[in-house]
Amino acid sequence: MSDPAMHIAGIGISFGGLRAVDNVDFQAERNAITTVIGPNGAGKTTLFNLISGALRPDRGRVELAGVDVTGFAPAALQRAGLARSFQITNLFFDLTVWENLRIASQVLEPVSRALLPVAASRRALARVDALIERFGLEDVETDLAGALSHGEQRRLEIAMALASEPSVLLLDEPTQGMSHSDTEDTAALIRGLTSDVSILLIEHDIGLVMSLSDHVVVMNQGRKLAEGTPETIRANPEVQAAYFGSA
Amino acid sequence: MRDRLMLSMRASHAFMTIFAVGAVLCALWGSATGDSFYLRLGTEALILAGLAMSVELLLGYGGLLSLGQALYFGAGAYVSALVLRETPSFWLAMGAAFGFTLALGIIGGLIANRVRGVYFALITFGMAQVAAKTVYNTRELGGSDGLIGVPQIAVPLGPYSVSAADPVAFFLFVLGFMTLLYLLLAYLLGTPFGRVLTAMKANEKRVPFLGYSIWRARMVAYVVAALVAGVSGALYPMLRGFVSPELMFFETSGDALIMAVIGGLGTLVGAFYGAALITALKSVIGSWTEHHLIVIGALFVAAILFMPKGLIGRIRPRAEAILGGKRAIRAEAQEEHP
Repeated sequence: MSDPAMHIAGIGISFGGLRAVDNVDFQAERNAITTVIGPNGAGKTTLFNLISGALRPDRGRVELAGVDVTGFAPAALQRAGLARSFQITNLFFDLTVWENLRIASQVLEPVSRALLPVAASRRALARVDALIERFGLEDVETDLAGALSHGEQRRLEIAMALASEPSVLLLDEPTQGMSHSDTEDTAALIRGLTSDVSILLIEHDIGLVMSLSDHVVVMNQGRKLAEGTPETIRANPEVQAAYFGSA
Repeated sequence: MRDRLMLSMRASHAFMTIFAVGAVLCALWGSATGDSFYLRLGTEALILAGLAMSVELLLGYGGLLSLGQALYFGAGAYVSALVLRETPSFWLAMGAAFGFTLALGIIGGLIANRVRGVYFALITFGMAQVAAKTVYNTRELGGSDGLIGVPQIAVPLGPYSVSAADPVAFFLFVLGFMTLLYLLLAYLLGTPFGRVLTAMKANEKRVPFLGYSIWRARMVAYVVAALVAGVSGALYPMLRGFVSPELMFFETSGDALIMAVIGGLGTLVGAFYGAALITALKSVIGSWTEHHLIVIGALFVAAILFMPKGLIGRIRPRAEAILGGKRAIRAEAQEEHP
């Protein structure tokens, strides 16, 4: 049996006296979508920050395909194969769509090419072409990222995270603020990504979570409340009480 | 053309060509009229363009505001002067200035890159002030008088030799030197490393999530900028025959900043236009009134208000449109009206 794409073991962090994330355990299987849900303030984004290196955990481990990457800085994690998107769109707004994707792809090139002209980075440039096609950004590739519609910016955000060909992709509310039809398109797009990458998702749209996820982890007040398939989570009375509200 | 940054750089190259042709015409005029004052002044402007280019690299591309680039400019000038007074060898002086500013740039970078933003600006300012005052109070370095009596050297260039005493030849030599420096920096900015700098200016917080260490990129940019300022400074005593602590003072750093801003941050070539403009203004206005700094200050304020992208930043989009076609115009329109 090969290792899971990612293994989170007993991870935790405290801010002052507050245990923002407390002893959370779960695995993200390969080529599957694992989703973390929970009410506001449950610690989802803090958990993401612990996994993606933005915060250093006080306790516990993060393993990528069996390799311990706990406490790695974001740049090192990126190179170890873990990429993330941001809940609040975080692009290079003054640069074109093409350059946004190119700069995100150039990590694929060996360091020995760092001082050759960018036109020589064939692998990175091919990656950019593939991403532009896959994410339907052909018409806007030479527009500035700051001039795109919200939906296009969200798609570019995911495309950039995917540019480095990561093994695990963390998506923080990828459909945040999208229209209904944009959300459906994006969900289909995310589903299509699992052939190349394992996905860990934070999402608020519960309908989307249930249709998209293979595995759901529920958090409440910094702890893991439950985990399982969407069906078992939906049927779990504890989850219903904490998250869906006991009606 | 999809790589818009490359397109912008090509437009800058067009302006660099225009500048170089204009400078050569000036040299021909100077040669015909037997002028030496304006050619010397022009050579000084070119040397200051080197300092302004180091500001361009840091601020215009990396988004790092240094208020103390004169530290490396002055260090290069002093090392060059010290070497030339012992051994009048161009390459030895240049090599020594290179090595010294490399070491100094690494030390300064290790200190300044511990902090960001305003604190980075203040630390660079403080380091330059400390160095300037130290030189000012060191008798071995000539104290407040500086070092005089730097011999006029001949620069050996393969089979040829350029005499620093010949205003036309030395002007052309410095023009060639600075053009080479410009081309090196332009090349660097077109590599993956250079693009990390551009990305850092656009959105520093995103860069680590692309797999790059911000500290490392800032460090390399800082040291390269120190070297550019240092080798430019090394030419100064060859031109003027002396060095003084004023070369390290804030006024020199501030002038370089003004040159880069007026020329156009993020254009690289703007450093040349800015340096030429400010040097000319100082000289012309300085001949009318001794309060020329008031006029320059007012002009600077007006330039920031009415031409925030600087001279080249203002006109370069048209050159890009000519070189790159409609798509470039579209992105440019977005920049004007985001």
